[in-house]
Amino acid sequence: MTTCLEFRRHVGAEPFAGGAGIEAHRRECAACARHQDELRAMDAVIRRALDVRLAPRGDAAPLPARAQRTRFLAIAASLVAGVAAALVVLVAAPRAAIAREVVAHVQHEPGATGSGAPLSAAAVEAVLRPAGMRLGTGAGAVSFAARCVFDGRVVPHLVVRTPEGPVTVLVLSHRTVSRPVRFDEQGYAGVVLPAPRGSIAVVGQGVPDLDAIARQVFEAVDFGA
Amino acid sequence: MNRADGETDRRRRFGSLCESLRPDLLRFAWWLGRDRGLAEDVVQEALLRAWKSFDSLADEGKAKAWLLTIVRREFARSFEKKRLELSDVDALVAAESAVLAAPEDERLAQMREAIFRLDEEYREPLVLQVLMGYSTQEIADMMGMQQGAVLTRLFRARARLRQQLGLAAEPES
Repeated sequence: MTTCLEFRRHVGAEPFAGGAGIEAHRRECAACARHQDELRAMDAVIRRALDVRLAPRGDAAPLPARAQRTRFLAIAASLVAGVAAALVVLVAAPRAAIAREVVAHVQHEPGATGSGAPLSAAAVEAVLRPAGMRLGTGAGAVSFAARCVFDGRVVPHLVVRTPEGPVTVLVLSHRTVSRPVRFDEQGYAGVVLPAPRGSIAVVGQGVPDLDAIARQVFEAVDFGA
Repeated sequence: MNRADGETDRRRRFGSLCESLRPDLLRFAWWLGRDRGLAEDVVQEALLRAWKSFDSLADEGKAKAWLLTIVRREFARSFEKKRLELSDVDALVAAESAVLAAPEDERLAQMREAIFRLDEEYREPLVLQVLMGYSTQEIADMMGMQQGAVLTRLFRARARLRQQLGLAAEPES
């Protein structure tokens, strides 16, 4: 049985860690579950902070030193209120937008109905590899795989066949969410899950247990390929 | 394929890898050295070394990890030469303020600076994990460490960030 200390050491190093022990402890301890959610939210900010844009040498002028001091002093004030406050900024505004964008994309993607024959592993890999990902066998057969333009970025778009029906999977490396965002729009039910890099949207129509399927898909994705 | 065609193909493949991976290599080198000029020099030198040993790369799918490892080694060489110049973190913050700035998001700039101020032993695995997407085992392999040591560093990296940002620190034991 995982103790609170073990759980926190584990998720402190790997906020997106899963596994039976972690999941069981999350269910038993709301404080630890919240702590992991906070760490995941913080990782979303870390990910964006690390993604610096490096202009060629000599292009940019340094900021005044005073601005630097002021900015750093604002750290505590800005984040001491907790990552929950940050989540409002991070998640609340884009929440509705991301659902609408995902549904609009699914509606307008020709050929992505999931009715085709299963694709080869190589075909799926070719779509995921540029995003640095791989799909394991646990997700189910993939009947559609393409690199699509979403929100101005090229993202992998898959249709995975499940016993409950086909689900669409969009890998949104550039869009972060701090916790699962569920939506139900225009006949589509979906969930956007936080991922080590960005997020993953799983969308279906009339799929009874979308959360379980989304988790299954999520766990089949290797983000370190 | 004759010899000339083979060389052309080799150059094309290497050029393609450089084009797609250079931004990540540069970002990684910058987070290691916290100096844009140093990062550019390190990446340039690393790519030259990579070109010379390109034939040793058996699987081009693993090119990114291979190049990052070369950048690490090159950085270690270059850093020895510049260690004294890079000892003042406040001066580094001022010098790299343009890269650290995020005018559209103050909170992002704060986090960026907090990461910038982390010790290298914590900053590097954090960059490899969060930005580059490597597993802790892969990071351990790249850094020549045990996985447990990487986990400890990652835990401490986040704990220090929380501390720097005024959030409650986590007990380590």
